[in-house]
Amino acid sequence: MENFVIEPTKSSPAILFDGTTGILDIAGESYPENSYEFYKPILHWLSRFCNNFREAIVFNCRISYLNTGSTKSMMDILDLFEERHSKGLAVCVNWYCDSDNDRAIETAEEFKEDVTFPFKIKSLEE
Amino acid sequence: MITIMKKFDLYDLKQTVNRHGVLISFAGPFSHGIIEELGQAVTRYLEAEAVTKASLTDVFSVFIEQTQNVRNYAVKMEAEGITDHDFNSGIVTIGRSNQHHVVCSGNFARKSDMPSLVAQLNQLHGLDKKELKALYKQQLRTTRNPGEGGGLGLIDMARKASEPLEYDIYELDEQYCFFSLCVTV
Repeated sequence: MENFVIEPTKSSPAILFDGTTGILDIAGESYPENSYEFYKPILHWLSRFCNNFREAIVFNCRISYLNTGSTKSMMDILDLFEERHSKGLAVCVNWYCDSDNDRAIETAEEFKEDVTFPFKIKSLEE
Repeated sequence: MITIMKKFDLYDLKQTVNRHGVLISFAGPFSHGIIEELGQAVTRYLEAEAVTKASLTDVFSVFIEQTQNVRNYAVKMEAEGITDHDFNSGIVTIGRSNQHHVVCSGNFARKSDMPSLVAQLNQLHGLDKKELKALYKQQLRTTRNPGEGGGLGLIDMARKASEPLEYDIYELDEQYCFFSLCVTV
């Protein structure tokens, strides 16, 4: 499948989904004007991938801040992965956060609580 | 005593702002670009103040939720064709009170929108942190309409606040009011 690429702005992250390797990278800050509209294309892309391919998905997340709208969209992405995992297909998330920022770690842990697939919380330096 | 025509006294405004411990203030139209610029200024200011990274995240996120709520409300009013008040023109301040940061925002609103907002704020007031987290997670799952983000923002702010959210409604006329919300982080 083709790649999906979005360049970052001050309030929205860079997104790169490699359609060959199944690696999704999202990095930056996330408080776009309309989170739902911002995340809609990548969600659509990921559902297409999920419907047509059985390869493993690895999601490397380096988002330093998510507003509530983005948090909601992130749950939608993780729900899609959960569904894939329940079908016995491989999915894993590497969630990178600043180890000095308790709040960032807490946010990562709250996402982790809601999924059953491998979800690793890693320090940014790793 | 000689009275001269009253000029706009900026010194007086600055004194008022100082007296209330306000460090950063902005009044005017909340465009998304302004929110981004102010957000960066707030981050730089807090970094210079050497607060912990967790507090910086909390103050920044309350600032974003407050300003985006005002902005989203203005967008909603505009979509409904209600233009008798400049809903997009609001005010946001970040100040210090003892060991805490206080983020306040104010904007014009329809009086008819107040009862549900007040009910929601009162509901949050009675919940502890654990209950707020449970409500937040539940709302994350149930908010389907992308325009209904405001409720989630309020819960998020209540979770980050060290004191109950404080609000005030200043009645302007039959239909409109000025709503303000202060969050102590």
